[in-house]
Amino acid sequence: MLLILLIAAATWLLSLWLPWWSLALPCLVFGSMLGSGRKSSFLCGFLGVGSLWLIQTSYINWANDGILSARMAELFNMPFPLLTLLATVLIGSLLGGLSTLTGYMFNDAFLSRRISDK
Amino acid sequence: MNKKIVRFLIYGMVTLLLFWILSIPVGPLPPLGPLMNPTTGFWANAETQPPSTKTVTLHSDELSEPVTVYFDRRHIPHIFARNDRDLFFAQGYITARDRLWQMEFQTRAAAGRLSEILGPRTLQFDRYRRRIGMVYAAEQALEGMMEDEESTRAIKAYTDGVNAWIEQLDPSQYPVEYKIMDYQPERWTPLKCALLFKNMTLTLASRNNDVRMSNTRAYFGDRFIDEILDIKPELNDPIIPPSRDWNFEPLDPQEPDGSFTPSMVTDIVEFPADPNNGSNNWAVGGSKTASGYPLLANDPHLGLSLPSIWYAVQLHAPSVNAMGVSLPGSPSVVIGFNEDIAWGTTNVSADVWDWYQIDFRDSTFSEYRFDGRWRKTRKRVEKIRVKGGETVVDTVVYTHHGPVVETDTDHFGGREIPRHHAVRWIAYAKSNEVRFFLKINRARNYDDYREALDYFHSPAQNWVFADSADIALTVTGRYPLKWDEQGRFISDGSDPRYDWQGWIPFDHIPFVKNPEREFVSSANQDPTDDSYPYYLDDDFAPYERGRRINDRLEAMNQITVDSMRQLQLDAFSYHASTTLPVMLKLLEADSLSESELQGYRDLADWNYFNSKEKIDPSLYHRWWDALYEAIWSDEYRSTDLPLAWPDRDQVAQLVMSETPLKWYDDIGTDREESLADLVLRSYRAAFRELEEEFGAYGRSWEWGRVNSTSIRHVAGLPGFGRSDLATDGGGESVNAIKRTHGPSWRMVVEAGPEMKGYGIYPGGQSGNPGSGRYADMIEDWNDGKLYPLYFMKDTPPDDSLSYTIKLK
Repeated sequence: MLLILLIAAATWLLSLWLPWWSLALPCLVFGSMLGSGRKSSFLCGFLGVGSLWLIQTSYINWANDGILSARMAELFNMPFPLLTLLATVLIGSLLGGLSTLTGYMFNDAFLSRRISDK
Repeated sequence: MNKKIVRFLIYGMVTLLLFWILSIPVGPLPPLGPLMNPTTGFWANAETQPPSTKTVTLHSDELSEPVTVYFDRRHIPHIFARNDRDLFFAQGYITARDRLWQMEFQTRAAAGRLSEILGPRTLQFDRYRRRIGMVYAAEQALEGMMEDEESTRAIKAYTDGVNAWIEQLDPSQYPVEYKIMDYQPERWTPLKCALLFKNMTLTLASRNNDVRMSNTRAYFGDRFIDEILDIKPELNDPIIPPSRDWNFEPLDPQEPDGSFTPSMVTDIVEFPADPNNGSNNWAVGGSKTASGYPLLANDPHLGLSLPSIWYAVQLHAPSVNAMGVSLPGSPSVVIGFNEDIAWGTTNVSADVWDWYQIDFRDSTFSEYRFDGRWRKTRKRVEKIRVKGGETVVDTVVYTHHGPVVETDTDHFGGREIPRHHAVRWIAYAKSNEVRFFLKINRARNYDDYREALDYFHSPAQNWVFADSADIALTVTGRYPLKWDEQGRFISDGSDPRYDWQGWIPFDHIPFVKNPEREFVSSANQDPTDDSYPYYLDDDFAPYERGRRINDRLEAMNQITVDSMRQLQLDAFSYHASTTLPVMLKLLEADSLSESELQGYRDLADWNYFNSKEKIDPSLYHRWWDALYEAIWSDEYRSTDLPLAWPDRDQVAQLVMSETPLKWYDDIGTDREESLADLVLRSYRAAFRELEEEFGAYGRSWEWGRVNSTSIRHVAGLPGFGRSDLATDGGGESVNAIKRTHGPSWRMVVEAGPEMKGYGIYPGGQSGNPGSGRYADMIEDWNDGKLYPLYFMKDTPPDDSLSYTIKLK
């Protein structure tokens, strides 16, 4: 839970200054520091970035009365405006999950062994 | 290697791959990472709160004094500046704030530079623009603009304003179309202002029928042209009342001896622009109005688009106070009013585009025959950069007439051009329309109006005028001095007598001031009757709209703003009122089926108004179209040559006369058909067609559905326009809405000590598809409403309007 929150908060902060791919940084770092297993790391990243993007897009969509999501849905030939939101969240979730998992795997491959060696 | 390291590498690679795929375009999709993420992607363009009052501090050298921009609740900016430079700077800045993408895209398209951002699929579009010399034309215009100090200052200030807006933009704030098409805004330049004007000239003054007319003459003969294509409908009512005297000695162009017979051209020529496109304007004198002061009305019709071609604005500085609509990309108000006068426009479709057959010495195209000797061509190299491809280099050959649009066999798809023909076009002449706008914005009376008009060259416009004393209309523009019918057919490029022989002097251009009938009007019809000594063109818009407006204005008295509004919305079909009685009379009703008979009876009761909830207009229009086809297609489609077809009102004239004509016979059958045969056949065909498209005769045939109107996004992005609007009106009504074309701005101004303006356009002030103000005026426009325009003489109290932006 802590990992999810940390990823969400840091991803949001970095996105204010850095491009979209900056979400990889907190995922990798926190994943390697706090990841506790492959499945749970993936899930934490998935939920961390996913929930952040879900909250962001839901708020925007609500405050915007869904004007732009309706247009974008038609542009992408999607039957429902909310699919633009789901597609966005899915992209963010996958990126978050995979990045966090990679962070954990890095730890697993290079760092944790040394720690356990001690 | 350690298994864990291998696993890490695999997951790392998969992750990297996903990031990579999301950062590059895949197929038709733009990079999805930048586009979709909530912080900088398209979500950032979704407006989540209304704009609020703020102060913007610019670089110290941008403005000499602070500028305040008050936005009213329609989001119309009222720009208050203390000098002209600051005013136009702010106009550029604020317009870019709302319409940057559109401004840039339209001028980019005009310059033939779409392939830079869209790739090879727009290459032919770009090549065509280069071949007809759009950039060459804009360079001439720019030179003209820069010769006048005041215009130069205004354009430079506007340019600086646009660039100041672009420079402070963070990529996350780029208009959403940049993100979707994956490119960045570039700096604005004065050349782009010039391109904007030349694009208007391309839209409004590139109509030409030379090739079609030449083919028609060769195929059907001179007599056909005399008898059919030269018909002047009796109901024609020219813009300038026939009572007008031409009290000048006309210049006399030198005419060739015989007529030139060009070689046959089988390619299809670009731009036989739809002759049924319409715009209207009029002004009525104080004796006919309730207020005792003149009223002016204008509704220019164009292809309808989102963002709208117009941007409403008020410009206020010590030297000027004008309000109306502007063209994003150009300083000043284009159609509007100030504290003293009002002005508006419709298009004059004079023939200012002529094709010349050129006889080249050899395949290098370096020399061509002219006046008995070989004359050298000039070559202009056009480089078209292509996204994801190699730069295409195209050499365009220029004669003294103008560019040779097509020299090889590589045709322009649907835009095929006669080969080895040069085009002479008004857009290649140096001009400075900005100067006209600067002057008309400041004009205080009729004399100022006339002085300003001298600077307006193209695209030729019927500029209507009203102040509290006078009404006037001028068929304004630069018209080549031509002998009768010069340029109606393909011209001989080697004979100097076919060249444009100078210009019609400004004082000889048709105009009318305070006529006896107490109103002036135009609806794109013939500017004058046959007594006018110069040749402008043989083919102007059909008479119906102009006639209807004049009939109504003649009959109306105690006119108010609201009765002007109603006339703008008038859906009466003169065309149906004249032809339908004849068609019904000729229709043999005994042979009709039950439902066909019902349609026939209903049509007999129709009041000839193209109302959206009625079925009759649908049946009538399809019937007329089918009848027109039935009369002409057998002859016209017996050849592949592109030919000139008769106008709607010419055929109406023939039908109304009820005289037997050989053209009624269907050459594909053994028997000899009469008009009555075609009337019956086309009625059944139209009925069947509507049944197939819309089901059984009934409500589903409503005109609003059959004539449904769409407002297309400027780049055609699906979902970014508006489709399926049910509208009143039709091509031949004053309210000439027809599917994608219609009143792009409706305005009524009441002159007097306090000028009062009203207006609306089918769009919204914001160019942002993620804003509630992107399309917010469309419903009211369709309902025929006009908004009072909040025209202020002095700065308002700070919080009286929606919000304020201070620039300093």
